[in-house]
Amino acid sequence: MSKIKKKRLGFVLDMTPLVDITFLLLTFFMFTAKFKSESENQQKVEIKRPKTQADTAKLADKDLVMVKVGVDSVLKDTAWYVSMINEQDITSLRQSMLEAKFPGADDKTVSFKVTDTVWLGKIVQSCRVVNPKASFAIDADKRLRYEWIEKAVNEMRKNRATTFNFVTEKRQGL
Amino acid sequence: MAGGGGDLGGGKTQRRGKKGKRKSKKRLGFRLDMTPLVDITFLLLTFFMLTTSMITPQTMEMNVPPEMDVPIEVKQSELLTLRLREDGVIFYNMGLDAPEKIALKALRKVVIDQNVQLKNRCIVVLKASADAPYGLVVSILDELNMAEPEILSGLKAAGINERKRKFTVAPMEAKDIEEIKGL
Repeated sequence: MSKIKKKRLGFVLDMTPLVDITFLLLTFFMFTAKFKSESENQQKVEIKRPKTQADTAKLADKDLVMVKVGVDSVLKDTAWYVSMINEQDITSLRQSMLEAKFPGADDKTVSFKVTDTVWLGKIVQSCRVVNPKASFAIDADKRLRYEWIEKAVNEMRKNRATTFNFVTEKRQGL
Repeated sequence: MAGGGGDLGGGKTQRRGKKGKRKSKKRLGFRLDMTPLVDITFLLLTFFMLTTSMITPQTMEMNVPPEMDVPIEVKQSELLTLRLREDGVIFYNMGLDAPEKIALKALRKVVIDQNVQLKNRCIVVLKASADAPYGLVVSILDELNMAEPEILSGLKAAGINERKRKFTVAPMEAKDIEEIKGL
């Protein structure tokens, strides 16, 4: 009651907790950030993944053969893009593809663009040889004709890769 | 130099002398301006927050039978065939019944009913036309996956605790195309 009101001139706010939290968040985001890999950089296709609701598993981040099916944004042709996730697998796959004289392959290729089933079969076979443990994942655009996926599945089946994954995106909400 | 390399103490006194009358104070409350540090931190934080994508791709596991020369005989009556026509229309039939049109939303109920009725022996075969959109194929697979929990509870109610899922994808043959052509 009898307190004298002082005019606050220099008003100080303790910023320490704010800065603490900010650093914490910064560290979190820095560690969780995943940068684009080399194979993603090379690719010129945009894939709109099909959306699903069911509880599905997360995509493995190693021992994986990625078969992307998409339409090239420049050439407007559909093709399979085969790549492997493990670094040493890519190197071995590249070597075997160079030996097989894969058209358009050089010593920097990480994602092999395939347009016919003969080469697709060969590359799937090489992937199986390079890493027998690797599982296959098909990442295809939802607007594509099913034929492209069916052909890829058939090639995998021929090489006894009977278990594979379809890469999807979780639908938000219901 | 001219001083002739005096001892350390000498040098000190000289320096002190140069600086003049400043009093050496013991610094008690030492302040460092944190503003630039916090600025940069916020900048980085914003950058990482905006560039990180939290949605990770999901996967849907599929199994296909290996290539075999010997066809496996299955009972027609336990076979639920789903056919997807190139225009996106779905047909279903049990065994040798005539194919019937079905909406994607209604599919789940049929699959659940058949599985529970046949007590786990139902085999679902999906035949998709080569020209059908892949997105729709995945939607059907999704519906089948979504039916699983309800099939499980349905089977449990019937006294069966084990669920053996029988599902396969098969190529669309000329015979299939003919069958659903005019419908």
